Amino acid sequence: MNLGKYLPGTKASRFLLGLTFLVFLISMAFGIHAMHIGYRHAYGVTREIPWGVLISGYVFFVVTSTGLCIVSSIGHVFGVKSFIPIAKRAVYLSIITLLAGFMVIFFDLENPFRMLIWNLFSPNLTSNIWWMGTLYGVYLFFMSLEFFFLLVEKHRSATIAGLLGLISGVAAHSNLGAVFGMLHGREFWYGPYMPIYFIASAAASGCTAIIFFTYLGYKLMNEKMERAMEISLQAVGKVWALVLAILMFFTTWKLITAFVGGEGKILAVKELISGKYAFNFWFFEVFLGMILPFIILLVSRFQNLTHMFIASLLAFIGIYFMRVDLVVLGQVVSHYFELSITDFPTFLSYTPTIYENMIIIGAIAFTILTFLIGEGVFKGHKVEIH
Amino acid sequence: MKKIIKILIFLSFLLGFSGLAYLQERSEEGLVIPNEEIGAPEIVYNKPVKGVLFSHKYHVGELGLSCESCHPKLFEMQALKAQENPDFNMNALYQGKYCGACHDGKMAFASNTKCATCHIGVKGLKRLEKEMKTGKK
Amino acid sequence: MIKRWFKEFKNLGNEEIEKIPDEERREFLKIGLIITGVFAGGSLLSVVSKVAEGLATPEELKNNYPYKPHYSMVFKIDLCIDCERCVEACNLTNQVPDYGWRTMILERYSSKAVDQKRIFLPILCNHCNHPPCVIACPTKATIKDSQTGIVKMVSYKCIGCKTCMTACPYNARYFNEERHAVDKCDFCWEKRLSKGITPTACVEACPAGVRIFGDLSDPLSEVYRLVHQLGKPVWVLKPETGAKPNVFYTIS
Repeated sequence: MNLGKYLPGTKASRFLLGLTFLVFLISMAFGIHAMHIGYRHAYGVTREIPWGVLISGYVFFVVTSTGLCIVSSIGHVFGVKSFIPIAKRAVYLSIITLLAGFMVIFFDLENPFRMLIWNLFSPNLTSNIWWMGTLYGVYLFFMSLEFFFLLVEKHRSATIAGLLGLISGVAAHSNLGAVFGMLHGREFWYGPYMPIYFIASAAASGCTAIIFFTYLGYKLMNEKMERAMEISLQAVGKVWALVLAILMFFTTWKLITAFVGGEGKILAVKELISGKYAFNFWFFEVFLGMILPFIILLVSRFQNLTHMFIASLLAFIGIYFMRVDLVVLGQVVSHYFELSITDFPTFLSYTPTIYENMIIIGAIAFTILTFLIGEGVFKGHKVEIH
Repeated sequence: MKKIIKILIFLSFLLGFSGLAYLQERSEEGLVIPNEEIGAPEIVYNKPVKGVLFSHKYHVGELGLSCESCHPKLFEMQALKAQENPDFNMNALYQGKYCGACHDGKMAFASNTKCATCHIGVKGLKRLEKEMKTGKK
Repeated sequence: MIKRWFKEFKNLGNEEIEKIPDEERREFLKIGLIITGVFAGGSLLSVVSKVAEGLATPEELKNNYPYKPHYSMVFKIDLCIDCERCVEACNLTNQVPDYGWRTMILERYSSKAVDQKRIFLPILCNHCNHPPCVIACPTKATIKDSQTGIVKMVSYKCIGCKTCMTACPYNARYFNEERHAVDKCDFCWEKRLSKGITPTACVEACPAGVRIFGDLSDPLSEVYRLVHQLGKPVWVLKPETGAKPNVFYTIS
């Protein structure tokens, strides 16, 4: 069999393919080694901060996946014509980013294989983690089904599968938000904000991802973008700008409301905006993740795709830090801080190790690798518009 | 000849280890931290419970008590000696022995109050041990 | 299925103050004021608000304390001297590795405090009536025992997602590599109580009488008497989380 015909066209893309494959293998080695020596030794997480960048990374990938599903559904499920050209690629990407997320969580769970058994035989229906895990399983099934129907050009069935995928995806994702939002011992997370924020955040990540990968796909294949695709991306840009505005609005009110209420929350937010995480927050999360892409989008007038691509790259970096802040900040305030305890500082610290970072990098490499393979195998995800 | 050397090496190792064990045993018994200014050490008893501080620095340096106030009637002039006695416990203190001679609620706070003032605990013990090793005051 | 789940959920939150008769409630708010007036650290009201001294008949007790025995621990914290015999006994009894703990002593220190500057505060799993960890566990690897109210681990079901660790307001859980599961205090159920040995290892080891263990639903027990008296402040840690702990703090 000639594999060459499946490999994408340009030299750059072949180089990238090899590189990401190598990085993926190296990161796998790191992950397996971490598993071998025990996560307690390999990772920077502690008893007090048990969730580190791997959880952030998981959130990052599944947020992107859900977002891609939402964006693809605009055209595919709800029939907005201009969104149809991006739909097929979006569905494919939502599957691979979900798999990347699963890969990260696999290396975070201490007993991932037990999950397969006990999720089924001993479900705890009050647990958001259970709902999230189960619904993401369902979501993966429907998205794969939708992609299959798209491949065989059964558009009616694809639409139904897409709708079911969207419903399960949104349900799964809001449950992921609720995993944080329903921990009533953690003031920084507790409340209805998290599930809602997660959905808005997903839409933003989805727009980011589809602009980023579609543009990259065409560049790497050295193909000229069709007019329909251009119009489609420009439309995505507009939705993206809207969602970014919503996110900014959410973040603003999250901050302002945090200053009244429990002291634990005030401490965490102070740490975020003026403490150790201030640079993460102001530079990465706010500036790179929201404000700069928003400005670039406005300046590009939603016409210049290269500008939009740059905006999406910056936003991706910003979004990653957004997730890190979200996960870690909920845990940094020491449990007994109000009792002037000498045993723990008011702010606990967490630094990810090379193992944790390598697994995240590996998941990114996996995403790019499978994206490139997808471009080759599915010939640029072309869709006929009926 | 070689065999003898081997045995000698083995024996010296054994001695070294038992010496180490002995040292460990000593620090298990308590802490004696010399204080040149006062001329009398800070003492942390580990029996019958861990981490009970007697501070010469406070009692002599700050309160100005003389050696004769306690020595040798209440305590022998040897650090950690008192904890060898089987009656070195709170009940004895309530009956006016050892610290209880002053800590009766009249001269100084009663022995059965403010526990964590003298009982610095395992945490206090470890902190002082660390300070001693690093030579920090 | 859903019905059972709903019932379970309802059982977890068994002590809503809304259901108390007015008179009793007034009485209790008074007590609450006394207590919170003395100690800002939390109030008794949050857990046992329904049971006022002299009002509870055994029938009411059964409703208020759904577990029999309703295991509970009370600490007289001013007596704690951090000798850590409790910790040693716990580690030995329950094979707790050196990187973890089931119970520990916190040291509160304030140089600004009047008089005594230091006090020790023993902590362990609070065996909450509304346990955040049990609600959060995806696979029922941690459960609230329906007989005793003890929050237990079912180690072989633990997938190691560590949600219970983030859920716990009291830092009572850690991941135990040897057990391949999260580990926590079970009031020595596995090693002692289930074999008819009482009290827990830490209570037995304490030389200062800091820890008192017993059945909160039994009016003759010491924990009952300590929790239902007005002469001394009684409080719980972090009442604001709504977890309704069964570990109480008082002074001697």
